[in-house]
Amino acid sequence: MRTSRGLSAALAVAGLTVLTACGSGTGSSSGGSSDGSLEVWSRSSPVTGAVYKKIFAEFTEETGVKVEYTPILDNFEQRVAEAATARDLPDIVINDSGMLGTNVSQGLVQEVDRDKLKGSADLLDRAWDQAKAFDGKYYGVPFNVQSFATFIRKDWREKLGLKQPRTWDDLTALAKAFQTKDPDGNGKDDTYGMLVPASTDRGYASWWAASYLWQGGGDFLTESGDGKYVPAVDSPQSVAAARWMQDLFCEEKVVVPGALTLQTKDAHEFFSSGKAGVYMTGPYMVGKYDVDLGKKFEVIASPAGPGGQATLAEGENVYLMAGSKLQEQQRRLAEFLISPKGQKIGLNSTRPEPPVRLSVNKKVDTVAERGGDARWKMFVDEFNAHGRYTPNVPNWQPFRQKSGETLNGLFARCDADPKAELTKLADEFKQELETQKVYGG
Amino acid sequence: MTAGTGPSTTRGSSAATGLGPTHSDPGPPPPRPGSVTSVPSARRVRLRRAVLPWLFLSPALLLFLYFKYLPMAKGINLSFYKVQPFLGDQWVGLDNYTRILDEESFRRAFGHTVVYAVAQTAGAILVGFVLALLLEGRARTLWFVRSAAFLPVVAAVAVVAEVWRLLYFPGQEGMLNSLLSWFGSDAQRFLDDPDQALGWVIVVGIWKNAPYDMMIVLAGLASIDRQLYESAALDGAGLVRRLRHVTLPALRPVVTILLTLAAIRGMRVFTEVYILTGGGPAGSTDVLMTRIYDLGFRANDLGFASACSVVLFLLTLVLTGGVTWYRRRKELS
Repeated sequence: MRTSRGLSAALAVAGLTVLTACGSGTGSSSGGSSDGSLEVWSRSSPVTGAVYKKIFAEFTEETGVKVEYTPILDNFEQRVAEAATARDLPDIVINDSGMLGTNVSQGLVQEVDRDKLKGSADLLDRAWDQAKAFDGKYYGVPFNVQSFATFIRKDWREKLGLKQPRTWDDLTALAKAFQTKDPDGNGKDDTYGMLVPASTDRGYASWWAASYLWQGGGDFLTESGDGKYVPAVDSPQSVAAARWMQDLFCEEKVVVPGALTLQTKDAHEFFSSGKAGVYMTGPYMVGKYDVDLGKKFEVIASPAGPGGQATLAEGENVYLMAGSKLQEQQRRLAEFLISPKGQKIGLNSTRPEPPVRLSVNKKVDTVAERGGDARWKMFVDEFNAHGRYTPNVPNWQPFRQKSGETLNGLFARCDADPKAELTKLADEFKQELETQKVYGG
Repeated sequence: MTAGTGPSTTRGSSAATGLGPTHSDPGPPPPRPGSVTSVPSARRVRLRRAVLPWLFLSPALLLFLYFKYLPMAKGINLSFYKVQPFLGDQWVGLDNYTRILDEESFRRAFGHTVVYAVAQTAGAILVGFVLALLLEGRARTLWFVRSAAFLPVVAAVAVVAEVWRLLYFPGQEGMLNSLLSWFGSDAQRFLDDPDQALGWVIVVGIWKNAPYDMMIVLAGLASIDRQLYESAALDGAGLVRRLRHVTLPALRPVVTILLTLAAIRGMRVFTEVYILTGGGPAGSTDVLMTRIYDLGFRANDLGFASACSVVLFLLTLVLTGGVTWYRRRKELS
């Protein structure tokens, strides 16, 4: 009797386990929840997420389509990759335009018919470029664009009696003065010149260096016509630019300690806490530093290098993810996000970190929405005049990762020779171009 | 990704064999004298004897199957594909594995992992052993100190790593640097220096794991017969010789267990490295797991990442198997 009871208990548990195993195997293979609401993820901090929620509330009111929204800041790409492996992607993902190539090559995103999208003609042509894949088709809808500028501790600069930097030499001299001349006047040697998020994680080192590489007249790749590319990262100008950046770390020693393993989200604090005085970053930081530093900082267009002025241009796209059953609703949300109304809420001037950095919609005046703030005008002007997107290869991510690793190595090992290292990198670029079938040599 | 669960495999299988029918099994009561055992019923008894333990094990085994073995099998399967869930996975045969041999970053990460595993294991056992010798005894205060020493083990790795990142801050005002400056030392670059970073990461590993080793050594020490020490002392053996000829031989089984556990732990290190350095600077602290993470989730190359995981799994399997085999042989001899 005892045996048979034990037996049936064991069998019952076994049966249950098998049942659950089968049950979860037949789960939905598309995003969205059962009540037909759109599942939306964005790579945002909770502060930015709060503004997104306002946009989605407005959208729901206008269309009746519910949105289930999740802001994710850490390990965003990992979460998307996991969801993709489980074949259970959210319906909409709002993320960097730099992820376009990866998304397309993995088939994670749907093609967007630009002409059929309501209001698409109102968007900047240049913004559309960040959603255009190598095959000439669009796989996302541009949601915002941004350029980068140089943030400087104005109070420190004025205390030391220095002018706003106009050239690379000015910039180095300013950083050096911040580092050595005790700009905060506390009698301690505890300030640093330049804040650099030079970690290899997500290819940050390359992301930071891109603007300087172009200012130096260098480049990652050159288009050789016909949509093919050859490496340009070993050109004399590129090498000189890399050497200048290496010198910031090794010769001038004006970079904050720990920069080599620093990610952007951990970097921001160094500027607001009075550790570093020069920081090249995007418009999304203006609001936060307004709160933290008030009038103690200024934002200027990045000083010109030997090759002139340049800034990395990029943005975020609304990706309509694959496998969604809510095609119609996906499109409607994208249309709302790029509409003047959606963009204006996203630019919301009372919040420090707006989801819309610079508007993609020609009918929306970013500067006016930001209360006529001259710093935002500068970001807009920089984007228009000196903004440069990374090359439109099928997938930029491997290039960003490889160049990030090489540059991080150059900054870490002061005896490393930029020419030799960049020549090696050019070789890796060539291989990657061949892998992506766009080598034009 | 789940393929790297070496220890659980061995644990699972040894549990299965350990509970299986053995000679010491009491089994069903012997047939009463006088009753005649017919052939079919004897077979039934034998059958029941064979099946029953498995039935009792089945809930656990099914859970293992569902949450461990199936994902592992899936991981191994993925390693033969170019994984693209929405375009259809592409069979590439052994390509992912040959790529592992070609990829320099993987070879470098492998080297770092071995260095990390060996140094961290050795360091943690050594420190754990010294701690155990210092803290052995029954006094109440010792109990308190032992608990305090054990804290690093129970603290969350991610938190520990963040705190160490602060301690290691490479500026002059960094905590360790200000400590060093009292002794007139220059500011160290710690994790910023590609030649030192791995060493500092290992220090965190030792700090975190030594108390665990200490506990196991303490348990081993407690089992040593006190009389052995006394008679050794009577024979004129000093502290060092008592350690060498009494304590160490008695601890041998404990040490082999520690070695296995620590080596596996070392091979699979991820969180500490990921938070402390993210594999940098200049890739100098890149270990197998950070490489696999990068490949799988940054480069979205899940097939290749799975292949790397399988290799890591095989490495831990060989390591575990090797140590177990060595231990069995030692015990037999």
